Amino acid sequence: MGILSLLLWTPATGVLILIFAPSQNTHVIRIIAHLFTSLALLLSFWVLHLYQQSSAELQFNEYFPLNPNLGSAYALGVDGVSMPMLILATLLTSIALLASYPITNNVKGYYLSILLLEFGLLGVFLAQDWALFYIAWELTLIPLFFLIGRWGGKRRHTASLNFVLYTMVGSVFMLMSLLAISQYDLQQAGSLMTSMHQAAKDMPRNEQILVLLGFLIGFGVKMPVFPLHGWLPLAHVEAPSPISILLSGVLLKMGAYGLIRAVNMLPEAAHILQPLLISLALIGMIYGGLLAWRQTDLKAMIAYSSVSHMGIVLLGIASLNQMGLTGALLQMTSHGLVSAALFLLIGLLYERTHTRNIQDYGGLIYNMPRFALFISLALFGAMGLPGTFGFISELHALIGGFQQWGGLMIVFSITVLISAAYAMRTINLLLLGPAKTTAFNLMDLNRREQAAAGILVIGIIGFGLIPNPVIELSAATISNMITQISQRLL
Amino acid sequence: MDSLVVLIPLLPFIAGVLIATGGLTGQLKGEDSETQTAFIANWAINMSCLIALTLLGADLLHKNTGGLSLGSWLSSDDLNIEINFITHGFNVSLAALFSLILSIILRFSVNYMHREAGFHRFFAILSLFASAMLLLVLSGNAVGTFFGWEIAGLCSYLLIMYAYQRPVATVNATRVFVTNRLGDIGFILGISLSIAWTGSVNWLDLKTLVADLSTSEATAIALCFSLAAFTKSAQVPFTPWLSRAMEGPTPSSTVFYGSVMISAGVYLVCMLEPLFEKAPFAMAVLIVFGAITALHSYWVGLTQTDVKSSLAYATSEQLGLMFVECGLGYWSFAIWHLCAHAIVRCYGFLTAPSLMHNVKDNPIKPINPAIAKLQWAYTASLQRFWLDQLADWMLVRPIRRLAHDLSYFDEHVVDQMMGMPTPTINTISSLAEFEEKLLGAHPEHTQNPFSNGSGIAGKITSGFASIMHWFEDRFILRGIGKDALNMGRKLGRTANKFELLVLRPRYLVLFVLTTLLLAF
Repeated sequence: MGILSLLLWTPATGVLILIFAPSQNTHVIRIIAHLFTSLALLLSFWVLHLYQQSSAELQFNEYFPLNPNLGSAYALGVDGVSMPMLILATLLTSIALLASYPITNNVKGYYLSILLLEFGLLGVFLAQDWALFYIAWELTLIPLFFLIGRWGGKRRHTASLNFVLYTMVGSVFMLMSLLAISQYDLQQAGSLMTSMHQAAKDMPRNEQILVLLGFLIGFGVKMPVFPLHGWLPLAHVEAPSPISILLSGVLLKMGAYGLIRAVNMLPEAAHILQPLLISLALIGMIYGGLLAWRQTDLKAMIAYSSVSHMGIVLLGIASLNQMGLTGALLQMTSHGLVSAALFLLIGLLYERTHTRNIQDYGGLIYNMPRFALFISLALFGAMGLPGTFGFISELHALIGGFQQWGGLMIVFSITVLISAAYAMRTINLLLLGPAKTTAFNLMDLNRREQAAAGILVIGIIGFGLIPNPVIELSAATISNMITQISQRLL
Repeated sequence: MDSLVVLIPLLPFIAGVLIATGGLTGQLKGEDSETQTAFIANWAINMSCLIALTLLGADLLHKNTGGLSLGSWLSSDDLNIEINFITHGFNVSLAALFSLILSIILRFSVNYMHREAGFHRFFAILSLFASAMLLLVLSGNAVGTFFGWEIAGLCSYLLIMYAYQRPVATVNATRVFVTNRLGDIGFILGISLSIAWTGSVNWLDLKTLVADLSTSEATAIALCFSLAAFTKSAQVPFTPWLSRAMEGPTPSSTVFYGSVMISAGVYLVCMLEPLFEKAPFAMAVLIVFGAITALHSYWVGLTQTDVKSSLAYATSEQLGLMFVECGLGYWSFAIWHLCAHAIVRCYGFLTAPSLMHNVKDNPIKPINPAIAKLQWAYTASLQRFWLDQLADWMLVRPIRRLAHDLSYFDEHVVDQMMGMPTPTINTISSLAEFEEKLLGAHPEHTQNPFSNGSGIAGKITSGFASIMHWFEDRFILRGIGKDALNMGRKLGRTANKFELLVLRPRYLVLFVLTTLLLAF
């Protein structure tokens, strides 16, 4: 059994053990869940340690044919694109568990669902076979449906139903695209991902475009791309805050990750659809930013800022060059850290005051200096202030976009301005000014909460100051991808 | 032996950081820990002094290679700046002298500063200053020297402000710092020009680099560096900052304005000897400004009645003479003058507090009656030739007026157009406002000011945001989300109805009959 299988099945084993755990003893349940997520985190760091940065090839490959007729296989592998996502998934799951202590009803079901969700997430990022990928993709839906629907806020039922419907519709399109490619000759050896990659080369141009559009809808719902984001504000607002962390931190990245793989498979179509992609990206960036600016609900604000930030990812992908793709990947990681930190902190605040309306707050800095420090740093990261990870990724995406479209990037700068406007206003209203009644007798973050927020904030600042390790992690894979793409485009 | 040079600036730096962290964390506090602070600071500077003397000895025995490079600090394109040090000649002797003076003064300060409120602060800053000064003289390139130069300037600012509760001290400190920043412009320009024209700022390669420069280029660079040197060494027209800087405690005045930091300007000019040799005009500028300063300081010094001011003017007079010597080409004479002056002035400043006691029966010689009768000269001397007022009139006031006009423009034009940032406090600030609110006399408060921008740009933004909000609400949230659900529900209900209808017995019988009919 390879290390990747070990990593993938660790949360699944956790699920199996949790099933037999006594449902009254919440302490034991929490310990088991923490144990298995920490194990997965350590394993993913071990994978990172063994990973060869300089090689662009898939590493730690595992291959076990499942259905020879269809060509599907249990194929796992890691490359520079999935490596950061892997770490993000295991890290944010651990952090979400740290933030899960306020959940007290039906604890067993909750932790079961989270471990199942982690299993699905790891499956998505590890799978090197589209069939496996699709199964894992759908697998994430089930626990999320319950997590939002059972432990969510007032409108949780609508939110979870909405979320599942949107994603299901999206995945239907994705499935159709996958089937459309698999009609073609799949005689190549290797997993379904590599053989479909070969098959996609032989497809007629117009079919490629249709297939990519299918992928765009499928992944675009998850990402979310501008008109398909309807599920996001509701789901993020209604989900309990640990789930919001996972939703915006990792779930959204699944869409972007899939889109990178799809674009890599169909570069000609991507090249033709480039104007569509870039306009969706730019509209999404401004649209999300402006709506974030209008929200009085803190969680809704972060949710819409996610739409804006994922627009930057789409922009990077659409640029189809080294700089842009690096920017997209960096933005995925940095947004994972930033939005997770923001949701975590807002969730902790909500626990104390039970209001998410920003106008109810003021002067938090007097009672909660540590909270104030963390949230300001996280918001600076969201704003893309130099010295934070957000700046590095936005800069890469901006340069990539500039190489491709030049002056159009002025729209990008408007987004930066808008994001600065809402981030600074949030800092002002939350932290400064006279203390409002909600701010009285608030406890500052305790040790556990500090550790959770501290890890994320250190990531945001640390990678902002020393970005090279992350850039080099995926540099080889990305340059290999870009070479392939440019060969196909010639 | 060469590698020892790194420790010379490093040890006082570590001491400074240690004392500062101790002070910030509360470990070093009050009178009890004075011995610890003093021990750390003294030990570090004594060790540096010993190392510097060792290095000097090694240099005199020709054991040194002349330079030490620690690798690259910054490299981009064809620009490459190293971290390097000079380990021979003038620089090492000066480092040894300065570290000796610094260690004497630090020892002196232990007793002098005893029971002062800012004891620990003083030692932290002075250690940092020692490190900066030693870096300044030992660095092998202009960028390293500039680092030391700037940190020394910052330390001087902090120590002039030592008694920060007194407004005069803070005003003077700011004035001194700003004046010194003028010189920094020259330094930075000089560095940039040398990089642009020669591609390097290494002191060690200066001779070969200068050979490629034309006279006009050399003159431009030399003039930039002499601006920096003039401000640091308090030459006319920058002299007034020196008397303002006397605000700090005596030991720091000694080390900053008596012997060590003030010599940095002359040191810089001496380092640039090959460059100045190539630029006769810059040499002439050195002579002119040096001579004017010497005369000016002599004249002003005649009427000073307090010890520290007269010493300050004596210092700038001597420095002026050193510039004249440099300008005339007597470089080694200027260097000897610099070293000798540093020692003498250090003694002068350190004994200044007890001067009255020492000269009790030995009154100061009266001024030559021929000069004393010149009334205008007396006024000019008392007013220090109106240099401060002149600077105020020529620089400070126009800038203040410009700032005033710009602020007006900003408030009345830019803010109107771009909008203002929302005030931090959207809450009630006064009782009157509260009452007005109770009466409902605040029409603009009735609508929610949360997402309303001010100014034209703000209005556009909020307009767009409302349109998008409407779109989001109508189409995306309600349209796809809610309406689709409702539609699905309706469809489900119809299907249910249909099914119920179909499953009624009469239809079922009819169905079965039809099937049977068709079957046969």
